[in-house]
Amino acid sequence: MLLPRKSVFITLALILMLAAVLSACSKSGTASPETSAPSGNAGSKENITLRMTVWGSPEEVAPYKKAIQNFEAKHSNVKVELQHIAADYDTKLTTMVAGNDVPDIAMMESGTIAFPMAEQGKFYNLQEFLDTDADISPDTLVPNITYSLEPGNVIGIGPGPESFGLFYNEDIFKEAGIEPPPSNVADAWTWDEFVEVAKKLTVDTNGKTAADPDFDPKKIKQYGANLSTWWGVYSNFIYSNGGDFISADGKTFALNQPEAVEALQKIADLMNVHHVSPSPVQSKNIPATNVALQTKKVAMTVDGQWASAGLAQSKFNFNVGVMPVMKEPVTTVVCGMFSIFKSTKHPQETWELLKALLDPEASIDMLTAGTWMPSPKDWYTDPVLLAKWTENLDARPSGYKEAIVDVILTKGHQTPTGYVKNFNNIMDLVNPALDKVWLGQQTAQAAMDSIAVKAQAQIKGRRDIKE
Amino acid sequence: MRKGMFYGLLFTAPAILGFAIFTLGPMIASLVLSLTNYNVFQDQTSFVGLDNFVRLFSGKDELFYKSLGITFYFVVLRVPAVILISFGIALLLNLNVKGRAIFRTIIYLPSIVPAVASAMIWMWLLNPDLGLINSLLSRLHLPTSDWLYGESSVIPSVVLTTLWGIGSTVIIFLAGLSGIPRQYYEAIEVDGGGWFRKLSHVTVPMVTPTIFFNTIMTIIGSFQVFNEAYILTQGGPNNRSLFYVFYLWRTGFRDAEMGYASALAWILFIIILFFTFIVFRTSKSWVYYEGGDRA
Repeated sequence: MLLPRKSVFITLALILMLAAVLSACSKSGTASPETSAPSGNAGSKENITLRMTVWGSPEEVAPYKKAIQNFEAKHSNVKVELQHIAADYDTKLTTMVAGNDVPDIAMMESGTIAFPMAEQGKFYNLQEFLDTDADISPDTLVPNITYSLEPGNVIGIGPGPESFGLFYNEDIFKEAGIEPPPSNVADAWTWDEFVEVAKKLTVDTNGKTAADPDFDPKKIKQYGANLSTWWGVYSNFIYSNGGDFISADGKTFALNQPEAVEALQKIADLMNVHHVSPSPVQSKNIPATNVALQTKKVAMTVDGQWASAGLAQSKFNFNVGVMPVMKEPVTTVVCGMFSIFKSTKHPQETWELLKALLDPEASIDMLTAGTWMPSPKDWYTDPVLLAKWTENLDARPSGYKEAIVDVILTKGHQTPTGYVKNFNNIMDLVNPALDKVWLGQQTAQAAMDSIAVKAQAQIKGRRDIKE
Repeated sequence: MRKGMFYGLLFTAPAILGFAIFTLGPMIASLVLSLTNYNVFQDQTSFVGLDNFVRLFSGKDELFYKSLGITFYFVVLRVPAVILISFGIALLLNLNVKGRAIFRTIIYLPSIVPAVASAMIWMWLLNPDLGLINSLLSRLHLPTSDWLYGESSVIPSVVLTTLWGIGSTVIIFLAGLSGIPRQYYEAIEVDGGGWFRKLSHVTVPMVTPTIFFNTIMTIIGSFQVFNEAYILTQGGPNNRSLFYVFYLWRTGFRDAEMGYASALAWILFIIILFFTFIVFRTSKSWVYYEGGDRA
């Protein structure tokens, strides 16, 4: 190989430069944050850039952009670089962590990688901010929207909580001459009342209802109810029945306990005994909640309040009531979170940014559209603020305030992903077993007992109690 | 020639560097990582020797054997189906019929459709209640199936959906068929042999190299089945379609256990290598090269 000497040197120099650049990218991820965070709203006056990653549809990202604008207007020396990761968010963030190239603040999902990362000390403990900040504290937020690795170590705060309700098509009830679901929690249906109504509203192609003896469950035209088999939905009823995924002391797998089993069995019975709710196989034909209710494929459906947005656009008479109650009225509260990475050089400014992101004024479009609910409590309790996002809007029907707003404030329950350690690995065992229950091939008791030993081996405790 | 050597290397550099940086490098890295407990979120990574492999084979990880079994079942079902059907279609397309080009296009078209899009189409076709396939079957009073939602029917259903994309295998067979000299067929005609003789004495022997190539490629591709599990079934129902690569992906990218996932990946590599080797070894006895060369 004939190469002029000089070019060898140039090549070597280039390689060395490349190596230098690459190693500069991978800063040490364990650098401790500066402890002497400058106080005051303005922060330090040097020009800084904060990196932020979010997921979501363009409509969902718009309020973040607005919040960032508001924030940058207040903090002239801070620029925020927003990275919108539309798909495979967790994979991309994992890759960032692997490359020691993490943002300052990131939207995180409690059910996937947030806790595995928190366990490795990747996140800033927000408790100290919550303790000292004048504007925001646990008491000013809706309950159940902060996530803690353990008591006293807050790893993320949700920008918008979501709870569950019983959405229904008003016309179906009018035509059938049946009282629609109550919106006040005090009048909530019992489970049996709910089943009775669902039977009357489940109609086959011959016009017979599920309450009829000659009803044909193979030819259902309209389902009385629709409960998906996602844990987000069935957790409501496990809690309502006094059950849980894990025992109160965090030592025992609890889905095979009578309370949880009964709730799971009752939901499975809706599909396979009463034939009032589509089975997992049939539910593949059920379109999204708004279309299913509008086209009268389904009369009532248990869904998250985010369904309001689609319902509002569908332009038909929908409303929302409280979910049926097994023993106690409860709603599971689910939400994403914003977390601050420990490696940030500017914890104080990042915290200010997080606060700006929680500001409902910035996300007012998402609130009025129906997709989100606000995080600060006074938006629920102050009539003027409450009116801003719940009155005279297509997305907020007459039952909304009682069935959703009141319930989330008083009857909320933290999502299992927030307090059950090792939730994913437990559910890796639970979900396949439940597949059989939903299909009616096994009782809930038998299915949960069959995996109890393996699930018990995956039990690692609870995050909401001191060990 | 030294100058020629220099230019040759210069022009092949993109390919060689690309392979070295993006294939060989990561492979070596993953081999090293498979001997560690590398977890993306942990700052400490330590060398654990063969622990990952011990954990796999000792039966501690039930899903390893389960996903391996499911994947084998898929391979055993899919490889013969792909080879036989694509060979049959290639034979048909090789006939001198009107509109041959149109048929060829139709057969190849699904291969161009993105995997996600074709998976969605199959989801609708195979829907147990509303799907076209079940509707037709019940109209003809034939038994219907739960397809992707039944524990016993899920793997055959996935095989069925992948058969749709055999266009490229068909094209390779066609290339092999078109390389057969006409004289051989004429010789059989002179001797009074029919179509079956032509097929068994000329066509099949002459395309054995193509069959050989397609078999190996299909085996490799089938072991690496992932998209279908990711889009259609998420490994369900009851883990009955938890394909090996899907399980590997979940371990690496959901649980961040990259060291363990690397071990899984290397085991798959060795399995594929083994089967390829077996097919190569047996090929001496059944693959015929016109030049008399042996594989």
